[in-house]
Amino acid sequence: MDEMENRLVRCFSSVFPDLSAEQIRAASVESVPAWDSLAAVTLVAVLQEEFGLQISLMDLPDLVSFVAVEKYVREHNSAS
Amino acid sequence: MNLVEALEILKKAALENEHPLRVVLACGFTPLHLQTFLMAHLRKRLPQQRVELKTGLYGDLAGSIERLTASKSDVLAVVIEWQDLDPRLGMRSLGGWRTTDLPDIVKSATEAATRLEQALRRASESIPICVCMPTLPLPPLFSTPTQRAGEYELQLRQLVGSFAASISRGSSIRVLNSQRLDESSPMHARLDVATDLMAGFPYKLPHASAVAELLAALIQNPTPKKGLITDLDDTLWAGILGEAGTEGISWNIEQHTHMHGLYQQFLGSLASAGALIAVASKNDRALVEKAFERRDMILSKENVYPFEVHWSRKSESVQRILKTWNVGPEAVVFIDDSPMEVAEVKATFQEMECIAFPNNDYQAIWDLLKRLRDFFGKSVISEEDAIRLKSIRGAEILRESRDAAGGTLDDFLRSSESSIQFAFGKQPGDNRAFELINKTNQFNLNGKRLSDAAWKTFLNDPATFLMTVNYQDKFGPLGKIAVVLGTVEGKKLRVGSWVMSCRAFSRRIEHQSLKQLFEKFDAEEICFDYVATPRNGPLQEFFAGLLGVAPDTSLRCSRADFGEKSPSLFHRVEVMNG
Repeated sequence: MDEMENRLVRCFSSVFPDLSAEQIRAASVESVPAWDSLAAVTLVAVLQEEFGLQISLMDLPDLVSFVAVEKYVREHNSAS
Repeated sequence: MNLVEALEILKKAALENEHPLRVVLACGFTPLHLQTFLMAHLRKRLPQQRVELKTGLYGDLAGSIERLTASKSDVLAVVIEWQDLDPRLGMRSLGGWRTTDLPDIVKSATEAATRLEQALRRASESIPICVCMPTLPLPPLFSTPTQRAGEYELQLRQLVGSFAASISRGSSIRVLNSQRLDESSPMHARLDVATDLMAGFPYKLPHASAVAELLAALIQNPTPKKGLITDLDDTLWAGILGEAGTEGISWNIEQHTHMHGLYQQFLGSLASAGALIAVASKNDRALVEKAFERRDMILSKENVYPFEVHWSRKSESVQRILKTWNVGPEAVVFIDDSPMEVAEVKATFQEMECIAFPNNDYQAIWDLLKRLRDFFGKSVISEEDAIRLKSIRGAEILRESRDAAGGTLDDFLRSSESSIQFAFGKQPGDNRAFELINKTNQFNLNGKRLSDAAWKTFLNDPATFLMTVNYQDKFGPLGKIAVVLGTVEGKKLRVGSWVMSCRAFSRRIEHQSLKQLFEKFDAEEICFDYVATPRNGPLQEFFAGLLGVAPDTSLRCSRADFGEKSPSLFHRVEVMNG
């Protein structure tokens, strides 16, 4: 697990404290009942804080799993 | 605190207190991260207290306050934003920003403020309320360029200022200080346009944290410190008195020592608000007395008591001052320019706030004054605050007179011209009674403290009684010095709380209080909810002296027993019924 993945797991863990690191890496909107709209907005805020990104809430519909979030952060983090 | 830190704090398991602090957060926008930050800041400030947080209905601030069920909450936190006064003052409404709309916006904002004020006043009869007035910038709806304040904008700001001033009168509603918020959250970094429009949450995260942090402090409402002990040389004034002489010390602009004058002025302000000020200085006593006679001295010697001026250790001086004041070290701040003296006092009194005076550092002295204001700040100045120092001096004179007279205690009390006023009315605004219950340690039946909400519930319960006691004698007034709370059960009284200020010891006020309870309620017996605490020795001694046995949890006193065992009482008594 690289440093970025570690940081992402930490972000997810602060929003979904009941999930293990393994569950987090497999997490998606479908598999995690606590991943509602409130959690999604909180997750975006946490990611912005952690990575210094500006994430548009318009992008929320795409951020539906850990894998999708990781891809998004890697793309936008390297672009910034 | 950032959001991850806040979430981490909330991840930790909550304590299982029997009585959680139930907070209601009412705001017109989606509470979202503000709720998270408020919970986290409350957890941080109150680590021993389980906190429960509920929120009101989105978009209906006044309605949320009006529907509040006081019995299900302990404190209400209200965050008002401009859009709560008129939706057109937010971004999510497209109701019109035409110049012709502006008078109507002011008018409807005035009506909304009136409704909010009424709702807050009603709610404040039941629970304490903390209010944050609008923190966000007004939108660019006015016709003037942004560098110029126009008529309608100023009218709106005046409206909010008057509203805040009006609700802040009294102590039930605590208004968040916008100047303090400005220091921690700059105006340009508050509004998050995107999350306001996308999620209904208008705050940037640092601003949400700053608002929550101050609201948590308002909710906690820490007990103010009681006394400040100050050094003199290079602290109260610039210079070493023993070397420079009385004319060589200074606190003025011309000699660049003005910050010492400000410090003196600040101590005068604290004294006028009831804080006790004492001096602990290694100095020549006669010289100090002469220095305090200088006409340009800002802090009057009348505001200072006692003076501990000699060459002994500072911790010994502090010990004597605490004894004279009869307060614990946790309620006192010690200030000295010498880090060594500060360390010496701190080593003896761990609970005391000991601060090195930052001599020659203007900004640090300014920051110290602000820190001291936080230590000593209080919402209401009571009559007792005004006479506290006088009554401590009076107690000292009384002790000396008693020792000098050499007669019996009866002789002395008979000649002291004492009068006691007992009042049985339950006044919701009686902050002094509430304060006494929550800060008295020595003559305290059980050490029980009451929350604002529990106090209001008690006052609203028709089955309960409240007796307050005012005292004065020829040595001066002591003000309101004792409180008894209880219930009447036929010919039996149950006393749940009984506290008396230590300034009132040795005057048989406690005996007279029991006598009045028996007479007022025609009671045959009084049962006490007594609990021994590490600090209520004086109360234990009183009961042991009166009843001949050490008190225990089944403590009670019959009228017959009291009549037989009470010593002679010489007070002139006045009873005021509610």
